[in-house]
Amino acid sequence: MSDALEVILRLLAVLVAFLVLPLVVGQTEHKVMAHMQGRLGPMYAGGFHGWAQLVADGVKFAQKEDVVPADADRKIFQLAPAVALLPYLLVLIAIPIGPGGLVGQDIDAGLFFVLAVMGVGVLGSLMAGWASANKFSLLGGLRSAAQLMSYELPMLLAAASVAMAAGTLSLPGIVDAYAWWWTPWQLIGAVVFFTAGLAELQRPPFDMPVADSEIIFGAYTEYTGMRFALFLLAEYAGIVVLCGLTTVLFLGGWHGPWSDSLGWLWTLLKTAALAFVVIWLRVTYPRLREDQLQRFAWTVLIPLALTQIALTGVVKVVIS
Amino acid sequence: MGIPGSGLAKGLAVTLRTMTRRSHTAQYPEVQPELPPRSRGVIALFEENCTVCMLCARECPDWCIYIDSHKETVPATAPGGRERSRNVLDRFAIDFSLCMYCGICIEVCPFDALFWSPEFEYAETDILELTHERDKLREWMWTVPAPPPLDPAAEEPKELGAARKAAEKAAAAAAAAQGEAGTGREQPGGEA
Amino acid sequence: MNVAAAHPGFLSPTGVEIVFVLVGVATLAAAVVSVTTKQLVHAALWLVVALGGVAVEYLLLTAEFIAWVQVLIYVGSVVVLVLFGLMLTKAPIGRSPDADSGNRIAALAVAVAAAGTLVWVVVDAFRSTWIDVDGAPQGSTKVTGEILFRHWVLPFEALSVLLLAALVGAIVLSRKQSRQQPGER
Repeated sequence: MSDALEVILRLLAVLVAFLVLPLVVGQTEHKVMAHMQGRLGPMYAGGFHGWAQLVADGVKFAQKEDVVPADADRKIFQLAPAVALLPYLLVLIAIPIGPGGLVGQDIDAGLFFVLAVMGVGVLGSLMAGWASANKFSLLGGLRSAAQLMSYELPMLLAAASVAMAAGTLSLPGIVDAYAWWWTPWQLIGAVVFFTAGLAELQRPPFDMPVADSEIIFGAYTEYTGMRFALFLLAEYAGIVVLCGLTTVLFLGGWHGPWSDSLGWLWTLLKTAALAFVVIWLRVTYPRLREDQLQRFAWTVLIPLALTQIALTGVVKVVIS
Repeated sequence: MGIPGSGLAKGLAVTLRTMTRRSHTAQYPEVQPELPPRSRGVIALFEENCTVCMLCARECPDWCIYIDSHKETVPATAPGGRERSRNVLDRFAIDFSLCMYCGICIEVCPFDALFWSPEFEYAETDILELTHERDKLREWMWTVPAPPPLDPAAEEPKELGAARKAAEKAAAAAAAAQGEAGTGREQPGGEA
Repeated sequence: MNVAAAHPGFLSPTGVEIVFVLVGVATLAAAVVSVTTKQLVHAALWLVVALGGVAVEYLLLTAEFIAWVQVLIYVGSVVVLVLFGLMLTKAPIGRSPDADSGNRIAALAVAVAAAGTLVWVVVDAFRSTWIDVDGAPQGSTKVTGEILFRHWVLPFEALSVLLLAALVGAIVLSRKQSRQQPGER
């Protein structure tokens, strides 16, 4: 019976991480973005530097009326936030944070699992965009779909390069096989993976599908209250997942001094550093135009990813 | 041009540098703002100086100054003298919902009875309550700061020049009359 | 495939077998709904359910790798493409009156024939094969890779050449059209 208990405990830990880490990233974004713009950000909620701002936001969202537009496709409209959010919860199960089985569930084809399930999340945006019966939502949905189709490929190719290098698709296996010189070796792949991941999350500067200054809020325009909050949570959970994955695949996960006892801390630190970079990029760069977005994916990222695969293959053959 | 991507790196550096500097946010209710000299917050009334000449009310473009007064006769100071009549202020109110803070009333007041005060926290929930009466306007007088110092190398105010001339004349007259030196009964330029 | 499970005994199904059958029924139902519903986008979303059901079936058969590839390619990309196309064609919310085809009977006949052939082939091919679900995984990445690249290299390469040909063909077709358009104007 202890097996079942252990599984429940692990899943519970994943759930807690899923509920806490996105909020931490969100609060960090509030603060970092504010200071990068010479502001202070939230200062009141919770007393000390507005630490409870997102809790307050959550309470506010919960109090709001849940509106479904009259012409919308009710069921799909209501289902969409769950479809957007749940995949990230599932992905979090497979990301290892420490050595010796500190992972929700070790999956044999973990890398494929993670990429496959992350791709499903975009279905949520598409469903929301179509079911809202709103032209801005539809435009947002169209842009999401176009963006996903062009950025999924470089992301997969970059991930495949790591899998080739490690000789396994299991995420803990990849971290186990890591050595320090992998980071320079896989540098191009890391950049491609991270950039394509940002685009897949629709984070600025790749936030064309939700571009608030032109199409209001893209696929989420008609959402209010809790369902809107779920979409936002999905975005931040996506950041956590992307940063965690980049850490695991390219930065060596738990490797670092005293990794036997402090491995989990290293993973979290590297993930946090990457999350900071995500926010930093958002503050710094303006939004890419739709055609620039597509051109960037097809003429820059994919050739780079293919170069990385070729490089990985050559080096792999030379060493073995 | 230079290295490709240097522009991107420059952008990142700008945001990072801004993050390490102090932010510019004014934390107003906690920290009072540092207002510049001559801030136009509210108009204060030094009613002891007011002679009810009505110039301010007449010049006001918005007609937002309300003045009521009556005449009083003052008994003659010397026996056999003439009785004098004097204007007594009954009401002096400024409707700050109409006032556009042009400051013309302050400019035209010949007796220095109106002043700019930097006080600005007098918002009300009802627009009618923005009409402030003389007692409130008199209260604001206490918040009027001393006039800011002149710019270096600025021209001397006319009043000072006139006062000094008068003082020098008086001193010269006194010196001519007596050998005793007039050590300056008035020192009007002392502050400037 | 479940018919093949008759080998060690029909009458005492294990938990995995029950789940397998239930998921299979759900998948079939989703597939039927997706071809009969008159709401275009709903059809695409029911297709997601059906494809996801197939992925679950793969998982139950311990073919993990194939299952995730199924999700990645079909749910993650093909359905997104389908939805993209539907959005471009302004698929209405609610029923599309013109979504009905006059070839209902012909389509049904083709579908039944195809399903019959597939079921017959699969049943015939795997009649006596039994997957040991509890033992070493039969469909793990390593096993799949070894089988694919040791025993089935030729079909694999032939397939990739076929796909490449399709890709080139698509590009040629689309370019030809765009070249004609300026000529027509």
